[in-house]
Amino acid sequence: MIEFYNQLLKQIVMLQYQLNSYISTTIRSINDDNSFSTSLLILVIAFLYGLIHAAGPGHGKALVAFYFTSNKSDYKKAFKMGYMISIIHAISALVFTFGIFYILKTMFRRNFNEMSGIAMQISAVMIIFVGLYLIYEAYKSKKIKEQEIKQSTKSEYAVAISAGIVPCPGVMTIVLFCIVLKQYLLGILAAITMSIGMGLTISVAGILSILFNKKAGNFLDSKGYILEIIGGLLILTLGVFLFTSVGHK
Amino acid sequence: MKIIISIILLFNILYAHPHTFIEVYPTITVKHKTIEKIHFVWKMDEMTSSMLIMEFDVNANNKLDPEEQHHIYENYFNSLIDYNFYTDITINDKIEKFPKPKKFKAFIENNKLCYSFEIEKKLNITNTLFDFGDPDFFIAMILKKEFAKVTGAEAVVSDLDNDFYFGYRLELK
Repeated sequence: MIEFYNQLLKQIVMLQYQLNSYISTTIRSINDDNSFSTSLLILVIAFLYGLIHAAGPGHGKALVAFYFTSNKSDYKKAFKMGYMISIIHAISALVFTFGIFYILKTMFRRNFNEMSGIAMQISAVMIIFVGLYLIYEAYKSKKIKEQEIKQSTKSEYAVAISAGIVPCPGVMTIVLFCIVLKQYLLGILAAITMSIGMGLTISVAGILSILFNKKAGNFLDSKGYILEIIGGLLILTLGVFLFTSVGHK
Repeated sequence: MKIIISIILLFNILYAHPHTFIEVYPTITVKHKTIEKIHFVWKMDEMTSSMLIMEFDVNANNKLDPEEQHHIYENYFNSLIDYNFYTDITINDKIEKFPKPKKFKAFIENNKLCYSFEIEKKLNITNTLFDFGDPDFFIAMILKKEFAKVTGAEAVVSDLDNDFYFGYRLELK
């Protein structure tokens, strides 16, 4: 399985390497004659780039997977969650990039690193709270001997914000590249299409988790709350792990 | 067990994923099975380059002047010592500290930011391996066989099995 993962990782890296190079070359090649068709092509590539980029490490897939392990949901909810995260991701990346670029034009990278660290810490604290909340919900449901935890939209939004608030450096790089080349609208649209691609991949992580939950849930039958508590604990650990790792950097 | 492995993988993949791609071009001179000198050129991807050039090229003349290069060396390149310059030199199964790079130069080529530097350390090729990669996986080091120019020995480039991040290995035979 590890070997399979390594091969998968290699393919993801190589595809991103090629797409990254292709996007930058194509954006540079835009001129008055080909602006529409080339821009369209860039948006399609940005979508694919997002799809593959989110398949690599990061982007809250673990958080989403654990969330759906601890909550009985349908696939529609997984899609909704994936897209909520990607919308927040895109907005966060656009606000950060444009904001930092115009407010602190020089020393861009250094400031981005600092801001990104702060955002990551906020995200980690939020993830910890989501974990605690889910454990509390699972414990409560066990007490009142309910089979299903009442799905709270509040916790859905909390998960989406936690996972999405850290702006994706991949999206930020494309946006910044477009800003440097004065292709502002294209930068915004590329951030959106890339985020749509990422949303799709994150949704798949949620769907896989729901599939697992259904099987394991049947198996555990009335002891389903154990799975829910485990999910909450995993989210909590994830948050602590993330928080301490940011603190070390 | 499968579930545990999946969870471990999920934990590991939360962290980072390559956002910057650096092509590594090593030029190595070997004499009598001993490495005399290694010269590296790193070429960063165009998007990352545009971001860094914007910061480094203070006078915006699309060239990196000596003062700008000095700034890069002091404030950016030198700090990569914490990451062993993304290059693990393994001698007899032991990872060595990366020697202090010399003759550092930063320049712009085809819209890409490039770093050039040398290391001088006599190494026997029989027991020496060069592993390129970033354990944080924020950066992907790319080494293709055609990037390595070796005189006096044959270069063998292979994938590096790091379990949770991707890298390349260079061996000389």
